[in-house]
Amino acid sequence: MTDLDVPTLRAALDAANYLADDALSTALLLAVRMGQPLLLEGEPGVGKTAAARALATALDTTLIRLQCYEGLSAAEALYEWNYPRQLLAIRLAESRGDPLHDADLFTEDYLLSRPLLSAITHPGPRPAVLLIDEVDRADDEFEAFLLELLADAAVTIPELGTRTATLTPVVVLTSNRTRDLHDALKRRCLYHWITHPDTTRVAEIIRRRVPAAADWLAPRVATAVSRLRHENLVKPPGVAEAISWATALHVLGFPALNEHSANATLGAVLKYPEDVDTARTTGLATLVHTDA
Amino acid sequence: MSRFTDLLARAGLPLGPDRAARFATAITVLTPTTLADLRRCALITLTSDPTHVSIVDSVFTTVFDDLADPAEERGQRGTPNNPATPRATSPTSALPDATPGAAGTTMEFAASASATERLSNRDFADLTPAELATLVVAMHRFALRTPPRRTRRHHTARRGTRTDLRRTLSQARRTAGEPVHLMRSTRRDRPRKLVVLCDISGSMAPYARAMLQLLYCATGGARAEVFTFATRLTRLTRALTHPTPSAALARAGRTAPDWSGGTRIAAALAALDHNVTRGAVVLIISDGWETGDPTELATQMAQLSRLAHRVVWANPRTARPSYRPLAGGMAAAWPYCDAIVSAHNLDALDDLIDALAGRRSLRGADRQTSQFGSRQVAGDHPLHPPVAGRAGGSSPAP
Ligand SMILES: Nc1ncnc2c1ncn2[C@@H]1O[C@H](COP(=O)(O)OP(=O)(O)OP(=O)(O)O)[C@@H](O)[C@H]1O
Ligand SMILES: [Mg+2]
Repeated sequence: MTDLDVPTLRAALDAANYLADDALSTALLLAVRMGQPLLLEGEPGVGKTAAARALATALDTTLIRLQCYEGLSAAEALYEWNYPRQLLAIRLAESRGDPLHDADLFTEDYLLSRPLLSAITHPGPRPAVLLIDEVDRADDEFEAFLLELLADAAVTIPELGTRTATLTPVVVLTSNRTRDLHDALKRRCLYHWITHPDTTRVAEIIRRRVPAAADWLAPRVATAVSRLRHENLVKPPGVAEAISWATALHVLGFPALNEHSANATLGAVLKYPEDVDTARTTGLATLVHTDA
Repeated sequence: MSRFTDLLARAGLPLGPDRAARFATAITVLTPTTLADLRRCALITLTSDPTHVSIVDSVFTTVFDDLADPAEERGQRGTPNNPATPRATSPTSALPDATPGAAGTTMEFAASASATERLSNRDFADLTPAELATLVVAMHRFALRTPPRRTRRHHTARRGTRTDLRRTLSQARRTAGEPVHLMRSTRRDRPRKLVVLCDISGSMAPYARAMLQLLYCATGGARAEVFTFATRLTRLTRALTHPTPSAALARAGRTAPDWSGGTRIAAALAALDHNVTRGAVVLIISDGWETGDPTELATQMAQLSRLAHRVVWANPRTARPSYRPLAGGMAAAWPYCDAIVSAHNLDALDDLIDALAGRRSLRGADRQTSQFGSRQVAGDHPLHPPVAGRAGGSSPAP
């Protein structure tokens, strides 16, 4: 991976059906080549999670994903002892009259690996891509031990000692900015803000993600989505919504995007009743008309 | 490179030696041959927030003024088949020290620092858009923080509410495997949500712009829900997540079309979802010139003060020592506010920050306008009728 360059990575991502621009490709490349974690931010549905998945495919390696949520603890992210098994062992030993020592209970046999430990102990042949998804949903305490892990690419299990990665994982973090992350964590990361792609690229992404759809569909949906994004909406449609709109139109077999088919599929692209009202006020016919 | 990083540090970017070193590493890894590549290295290694992106972008443009291709705008890059191709420059000529304009740049930044000083006590309404924009860097240094609330996060505690399996088990080993002592855990704290309601009607427009710019710079969009109102309530939160302040404000302008016209504060409050305000710190930015019925505003404020954790009102008119809450709306709302601040210029923003954080030491405490309303008396008793003009605990100076 040391001779990987931006065009090569970009082509590999493309082959994994992810269309990255030069900025994102460069960010991912630097994460790989510099061995530094990368923090990806951007609107919901702009392709943050998909970027990390595509990176794993492009590098031909394993993706290990940790989905964060409020209250996520070390036991769920790092490792946990198999308490039921330990309890059983204690009972068994008691019944036999054997004395049981801590050392007998806290061994590999009783260790349950969670994503962070799995990424550190990943056997290869290539380093794993570790995706820490929506890190803003976890809380401060989680960030603290995440920081330790990122600093040393190591995990300390008090009973077993320190596990240091032989293959430092490529770490991608995503955030939706529901809260500010710790400065210390941000300082450790490379950073990239994924912008919403332009209309041509949205059309290209639709073609990739809904390959069975008719040719007219991708550019028409992309244009209409771009118009909707200029409306005053609670949740302007992103890439994810463009894809689900195109999928709906395709699956329902509409021969064109017009007022009628837009009306029937609006729920796929607008998620709030207020937004549907706003679009209807502007007029669906106006929003989906052809430029020609 | 050192001049470039110096300028960034001066522009308020948190830039330790680790980041500068990382920037240098990125350059050796990528060996950028175009300015676009170099700019990307800078953005990826030196930022960690959409607001930093605008700082790096503008400093980069300033430093590489003569060399940069103006068509190359971040985020507006070309398509895969048609990449924006900025003029190729050799790596040596891309170094700022070799740039003729570099000395001039330093001057410019020094000038901007003193400009900030000059502008810090000028009323926001008297600033030109360009002057307001120069305050971006200064505003970036403020941090809007709210008091904590409890969360679902658990940590070990003797009288906790949840059983901690790990600890229970390690205890159980001392009692022959019987989990007789249940170990418990309890909840953690995190900052409360900030909900901002910004009046964008006619005379408030310049303050609204300044306040939105502050929110953009000082919260980075984090945990703040921002609404504007004049005749109708508009949610702006998303508009403020744009990577540059000017784009954020432009988007806000497009999102909230009624930048002028009458103000209906009560109607705006009524339109707010209770789930948004419950337990939140609510900031209302308005001069209180309610065109609707003040009694209705009092009713809405009473309800808001019961739902919210704190209600802070920023009214630029209160900056004048002679100010009296005679505007029907302001008088009606006054008893239900935990703090009233002016937030009318850069210097006055400290009071606002303190008020939101729930600190009582307001700098302008000698002014009647900066004292606390009598929420304990009026706000907590729904049946206690708020009396217009009676701002408990802060009677007008003689
Ligand atoms: N550049 C792209 N190329 C191909 N597909 C894309 C691209 N960007 C987004 N997508 C597709 O859009 C959809 C949404 O992307 P994804 O789930 O990664 O977004 P996200 O930013 O992680 O969203 P959220 O914030 O909701 O988690 C996925 O189906 C993804 O494959
Ligand atoms: Mg995602």
